[in-house]
Order: sequence, then C-alpha cells, then structure tokens
Amino acid sequence: MQTFKKESIDQVLAAWAHDAVVYVPVSQAGSKEFGRWSLNTRPDFTGNTRLSPKGLMFLQTESMYSYTVTEGGMGVVLEEIDHKPARQVIVGIRPCDVQSVQVMDEVFLTKGYVDKLYKEKRDHTCLVALGCLSPLPTCFCSSMGLNPMAAPGADLMMYDLGDSYGIIPQSEAGEALIASLGGLVLDGGQVPAGNPCTLKVDTEGLTAKLQKMFEHPLWNKVNQKCLACGTCTYLCPTCHCFDIQGKNKGDEGYKFRCWDSCMYPEYTLMAGGHQPRSSKKERLRQRFLHKLQYMPERYHAWGCVGCGRCLAYCPVQVDITRFMRDVKEVAIDG
Amino acid sequence: MNEMTLKIREIARDLLERGEVKRVIGWEKGTFFYQSTPFFAETPADTDRLIWDDYCLNNLAVYLLDFRYGEEKVALFVKGCDSRGVVRLIQDQQFPRERVYLIGIPCPGLKDAAAAANLPADSEVPLAEKCRTCTHKNPVLFDILAGPQVPAAKMAGDHFAGVRELEAMDPEEKFGFWQSQYGRCIRCYVCRNACPACNCRECIFDQTAKEWLSKEVNGTNNQLFGMIRAFHVAGRCIDCGECERVCPMDIPIMRLNRKVIKDINELFGDYEAGTDLEKLPPLGLYSADDPEEFM
Repeated sequence: MQTFKKESIDQVLAAWAHDAVVYVPVSQAGSKEFGRWSLNTRPDFTGNTRLSPKGLMFLQTESMYSYTVTEGGMGVVLEEIDHKPARQVIVGIRPCDVQSVQVMDEVFLTKGYVDKLYKEKRDHTCLVALGCLSPLPTCFCSSMGLNPMAAPGADLMMYDLGDSYGIIPQSEAGEALIASLGGLVLDGGQVPAGNPCTLKVDTEGLTAKLQKMFEHPLWNKVNQKCLACGTCTYLCPTCHCFDIQGKNKGDEGYKFRCWDSCMYPEYTLMAGGHQPRSSKKERLRQRFLHKLQYMPERYHAWGCVGCGRCLAYCPVQVDITRFMRDVKEVAIDG
Repeated sequence: MNEMTLKIREIARDLLERGEVKRVIGWEKGTFFYQSTPFFAETPADTDRLIWDDYCLNNLAVYLLDFRYGEEKVALFVKGCDSRGVVRLIQDQQFPRERVYLIGIPCPGLKDAAAAANLPADSEVPLAEKCRTCTHKNPVLFDILAGPQVPAAKMAGDHFAGVRELEAMDPEEKFGFWQSQYGRCIRCYVCRNACPACNCRECIFDQTAKEWLSKEVNGTNNQLFGMIRAFHVAGRCIDCGECERVCPMDIPIMRLNRKVIKDINELFGDYEAGTDLEKLPPLGLYSADDPEEFM
C-alpha cells in the first residue's frame, strides 16, 4: 500500500485540483455536504454528508435544451445546451455512496437508453472513496451486501491510518491520481480493520417474499405516519426520479429536468386526472418495492445501499430496516 | 415504565374497547432511543405500544388532515403546542370538533433528538430548540387530561430575539443571510407537510401545471417558496417549531414565521394563533379598527 501524511492533505487536494474540480465533504451552515474544494476549505471526513453525492452527476436542476418559436408559431428551433462538463474528483465518498453510483450507472446507462446528461458528468468523474472505520449507528450497508471498508467501484481507495491516509488505486484513473502526487506519496501502511455496522437486518428471501405481498395488509399500517414529503427520496443516493418542465418567456425558453419524488401526490397524476397511486399507501408501497423488489429484479442489485440517511432524517422516523423486519415476520397466504 | 405511559395506554385501550373512536394516534418507540415516533393504535392490543417520553416531539395534529373526508371519530394525544394545531384545524373548518377526542398531555419540555443522535451515550441531552421558546406547556383544548398540569411557561429572554437580530442587520447583510439559508433548500416540502396551518386541499406548489412557482431548484425560487409559505400561514402559525425541526437542511424557518407573528402583533394587537376556539385569526377577520395607514 502507499500513504500520504494527513498534514499534506491540502497539497494533495491542490494537486488533484490542478486540472479538475475537487469536491470534499464540508461542514456549512446547518449541515455537511460535498462542496468545491479551494485552499480555504476545511474538509470534514467524519461521518457522511446529508445530501448524497448523486447531485454531482445527476443534478437537482439542469437545463436540457433551449428553443425559439419561429414563423409565427409554426416552427421551432431547438438548440443543445453545452454544459461544458469539467473533470471532477469526489474525495471522501463512502462505500455505500460508491455502490449507489454503480446502481445509478445501471439505471442511466444500460437497458438500451443512455442518459446523455448523466453520462457526460459520470464520464468526467473520479471517485476517491474513504473506508468507514466506524459506521454510524444508522448505517446498515453490511446488511445490503456491502463492506464498509471496501468500495470496488471507486478509482482510488483511501483509508484513515491515524496520522496518514493509505491509498490503493483501483483503476487507471486512480493510478493517475497517485502519480500526480509525486513526492507526497510514501510506501508502507496496512489496510486497517474497521468496526462492523451495529444496525443489522436480515434480507434473506426479502425480494421473493415481497413479490407475493403487493396486496398485503401490512401496507395499510406502514404508510400511516408518513408525511409524503420528499426528504427520503432527495437524500437517498439511489433515488433517480425526475420531472421535465419548461421555462418559457414569450417565444423562447428552455426545457429543464429536476428531481421529483414518488412520494408527492401529483407525481403520478396524469393529464385527464387519473391518479393510479391515489393515497400514501400506494406511494409508500411503490417506494419500498422499488428499492427492495423492482431494482433487484431489474438490475440484480439492491436499490437500498444501507447509507441510513432516510431513517436518520425522516421527520416521522419511517425506518426501512424496521420495515424489512416487519416483512420478515408477517405471514402471507399462499 | 413511567406513569404517563401507563395512563395513556389505559385511556387509549378504554376508547378502543368501547368503540368510541376508530383509532388513537400517539407515539411509540422507534429504532433508536431518541426516536419516539407517531403510531396509530387501531385495536386494544395496539395500545401496549403507546409511550410518553422525552422524545415525543412530533406534532400529531397534522394527521387529522388524513382523515378529514371520513366520518369516523379519531382520538389524538396533544401536548400544548399540538392542541393549538387542533384548534387551528377546527377554526379553518378542516376537521369538526365532534370527530376528535383530545387526550391532553401537559408537557414540561422535550429533548433535542437531533442533538441526542450525535452525542455519546449517557450524555446530558439539551432541551429541544422548539421547547426553549414554549408559551403553552399545557393543552389549550382537551377532552381528558392524562396527567396534572405543569407550571405555566415562563420564557427567559425575548421570544423574538432571533427576529430582532435580523432586523438589526442592514439590507445587504440580511439578504445575504437568507440567500445562504434558502440556497440550501431542497424543496422537499417537509416544512409544509408537518405544519398544521398548511391544510389546503391542493397546495399551490403542487399545482405544477399552472407553475405558480417553477420546479427549478435555485436560490430565487427557494426563497420565493419560503416567503410565500410564511405569508400563507400568516396569522395561523401556532409557533410549534415543527417546520424548523424537521427541515433536513436545518434552515431557520421559525425566524421567518416569527417575523410575521411579530408584525401581526404590532399591526393587529397581540395574537396567539390556536389558543382560543372563539378568536379567529386577525387576517381572516374584518374589524372596523384594522390598521389602514395607507388609506
């Protein structure tokens, strides 16, 4: 393994910032989020960010293309918007969030349609993962098949060794990142052993059981306290629903896409007024089934990566681990 | 097992056994010690899950809105702040008085669950932010009290201190403050959904086809959302602090709401929303001596 001293973190980040935008977790007014690094930035590598890093590749709001109406309303000229994506290095991303990027890649880049907006940012992104020595009490990634100390999808793996960081390249991009550090890199160090997650849930047979539970009375109970806000979906690193709207001013404007939430009542509202998910019950059922049944069915991966953000920040403490436990315990007919 | 927990289970069980109400809405323990989470007891056996402790922060009044189109009776546990929410819903004609059975819980103040989540075990947990400015520890409306009344709130310091701090800033500084706050808003709408005053059948922010406010999430739109909501609940905000408590981005929403409350006090005379079923909000009521300096 190789290492660099913690006291040279600014030089390391400066080296990476030479030809890329570097993002690090930063404590700002109220919460810790990924922010652009500059020499004045004090990264905070403890715990995890509140918003996931998905917003760096799948932006909460981004313009798609602009248009101008011509010929007295009979014609239209469309113009691509060049977002000029810059190379970006996300430093300090946790294994759960790295897994979520893998899942987002499945959603946006496979099954016959490539999402250009996601791809252009994803292709310009380097992931420098930080292993979790002490998972938070709300973390349960190990129950979702992950190892808090390993992020196979990252370009570079980083470990906190006390007074230095251990680094192991996992791709060509990772090797290039190390090469750019020159003399800051030292040889030695051992991958430390981390502590296990304390919050655990048994997911054995979960998808198969859920496949038989669409009409189960459990859904009547689970949704009752939900406030139908978008907190869980917006903080979730794998939630990817979006809406497309336009901003119009007379004869010109642009189309943009923005995060949307299946928890919102008007999410599935159709022109004409038909509403297939008419109550909180249908919407919460959709959310849990998407994470725990539909995504495993489609992508052979859990939609939930066990980051714990939803159960930490839900205003009414809806807890997906408790839900999974309830599913395990209920009886189903046939 | 504290006495209040035993008492509320007894009351709830009795209500359900007699069939007086279809459900009793209270709290049960969540996964972590600092989580006391809303719970809907629908059978006598369910009532064994009900609890009362230092973390029963959630304002349960909002759940009446989930049942407003029904006909069955609902029982609700209400702290002082929650009871004001129920009064407001009744005054806004969102829920009839006869359909709700209120179990009042005198509350001395609860603990800060968010702080507790980040403190080492066995630490002293501070009073919840919203409880530090409590004006009504005892329920203002109830059918039965689950315990003895607690001494009335006597707040140390100025209720509007946070507002005055902002009022003292020059415009640029003030705008910079709100820019940095609402720049972080993610438009999850939890502030609106947790609020008993936000009870429109269809919220303008959900009418996306009409685009009262663009769905683009940026500083300008976020500030508009915050301001519009503050004005929509003007005169009806019960100062329960739930919006600020549940905001995932820790935006100081109560400073905005309290500014509006302060202005209304100055313009229309001191008014505390939801404390008296007979006293309607000043903005919902015409009075010949309403201020009209602009005329």
